[in-house]
Amino acid sequence: MPVETRIMPRYEREPARRVFAAELREASHHFKDGEDEKSPTYVLLPTGERCNRVLFIGSMTHKEKRGEQNIFYSVRVADPTGTFFVNASQYQQEAMTQVSKIEPPAFVAVVGKPNVYEAPDGRVFVSVRAESVTVVDREMRNCWVLDAAEQTLRRIEAYGRTPDSTRAQERYNVDMAVYKRMAYDALTQIAI
Amino acid sequence: MNVEIDAALAEKRLRTLVEEFGVNLPEAEKTVVENLAKEHNLAAVPSQSSDLREIGTLLPGEWATIEGKVVGLSRPVSAAISQSGIIADESGAIQFTAWARANAPRLAEGESYRLESVVVDEYRGVPKLNFHAGTTITKIEKDILYLPQTTKVADLRPGVASVRVKMVQEWEARHDRILQTGIAGDESGTVRFTIWKEEGVERLEPETVYNIFYATVDEYQGRLSITLNGAKCFPDEEGEITVGTGAMTATGVIVNVGTGSGLVKRCPVEGCNRVLSKRNYCPVHEVQNDFKYDLRIKAVLDDGVKAHNILMQKDVVEATTGLTLDEAVKMVQESPLGLDDIVYRLRDAIMGRYYTCRGNDLGDTLLIKECTPLGFDPDRHTALLNRLGGEIDAS
Repeated sequence: MPVETRIMPRYEREPARRVFAAELREASHHFKDGEDEKSPTYVLLPTGERCNRVLFIGSMTHKEKRGEQNIFYSVRVADPTGTFFVNASQYQQEAMTQVSKIEPPAFVAVVGKPNVYEAPDGRVFVSVRAESVTVVDREMRNCWVLDAAEQTLRRIEAYGRTPDSTRAQERYNVDMAVYKRMAYDALTQIAI
Repeated sequence: MNVEIDAALAEKRLRTLVEEFGVNLPEAEKTVVENLAKEHNLAAVPSQSSDLREIGTLLPGEWATIEGKVVGLSRPVSAAISQSGIIADESGAIQFTAWARANAPRLAEGESYRLESVVVDEYRGVPKLNFHAGTTITKIEKDILYLPQTTKVADLRPGVASVRVKMVQEWEARHDRILQTGIAGDESGTVRFTIWKEEGVERLEPETVYNIFYATVDEYQGRLSITLNGAKCFPDEEGEITVGTGAMTATGVIVNVGTGSGLVKRCPVEGCNRVLSKRNYCPVHEVQNDFKYDLRIKAVLDDGVKAHNILMQKDVVEATTGLTLDEAVKMVQESPLGLDDIVYRLRDAIMGRYYTCRGNDLGDTLLIKECTPLGFDPDRHTALLNRLGGEIDAS
């Protein structure tokens, strides 16, 4: 039910972006919107959109329990373009419980927050902190590939016409044809 | 034409002129305004003349002289404000605020006034009149004719408006300053209304048509709502309106199944129906052990651009997830972990799956009437391949 807006500003949930693994891997630039401690952080997608949450559906290919005192799961999920690196720790209790019950290979839908890590040697990694990992079927995976291709194309078509994409242009300077090709290739890989 | 003025800077300059240089206030104001206008490359401050203006034509940033009738007064929200209300002429109506500092004479409802040198301001997209120290207020004898024009709900814009609506739904007030909040609507759509507690204000009766004159229309995060304090609400016992449903369709993936989903207990008191706590406590009717069970899902349907809060009631939950209320009640009675198991089962049934949801927009939640699972669409696949492939070949 509605929360009184005058007293409490309505909290607007961040949408979950549909991003292929090959694009998310390149999203090395991250920023905070606002000065507040609680201001949301975003990674900037090379196709020019800020992203605080992602949704992807792919095959869980690998699951590993790590840590001694602070146990967490490290999971790999493949889409037609590459691999997502997913973590679920005790801070994501629900996701961790879900992951513990899934045996790869399995089609999974992952909702989570992207994080950028810089290794000591300067290499940059993007991983996803899972909020939820649910087992789905091949048909939902195919639906997602369509969805992700469509949304990637939407971002490419807006490229150069939004503040975020201007920012992406400065940061990454990538030819959009690369991502168009990526989306096209992903679509050709889903068997009907 | 619109420029942002630093109020603190303007005040500082005013103070310097008045307090340090002994300039009288109207002259100081004029000087400060002229300087600000020059700094912002404005030829002059618009309409600073004493020409009489129509209220309906006023724009934020203007100084104006108007004649109007006070059609509503509301309790000031802050001690810094001595009076606030609504003033109207035949062209329209606008909210006014008299700052305590301005020492303006108090206006009386139903009386007409000439207001010279008022500032048209903007607050959250709503145009407002501000009285300040340089505003001259004169009571006038001629009665200003005003005929409130009724606006369709779908055409509402921030400001002041008169509507003819039916009260269709009352919501639980989440704050003790609220007397009543809910949804009212006409054929064109629905809008949230709020009545704040104040002496002399009355609640609206459900399913009753009202002619509401001079309600304040606010916009917050893209959503309009009307406040009825200061407005005049006349019930029309004979009236009937078929309220537009505010129907909405959204397609996306369920990315969250929230707390409050699953099997809930409802207060059995007639007309209450509130959800009880784990200890069967109703916030209004206290402990109710003779509760009714209900099944619902509060979730988020995400289309990749916007996350929609959705609410599914029993029938939709049963049709979408395959879990019936009776089965759920049985699960709870058989297992102490039954309540959690139900939530997990609902979650695993719908999370990460594509749906098209049709329902009514309740303001910040979509009440789902119909939820259709989506499968793979080969036509869309082909079309998308053509769009992407064609463009790649062309480039």
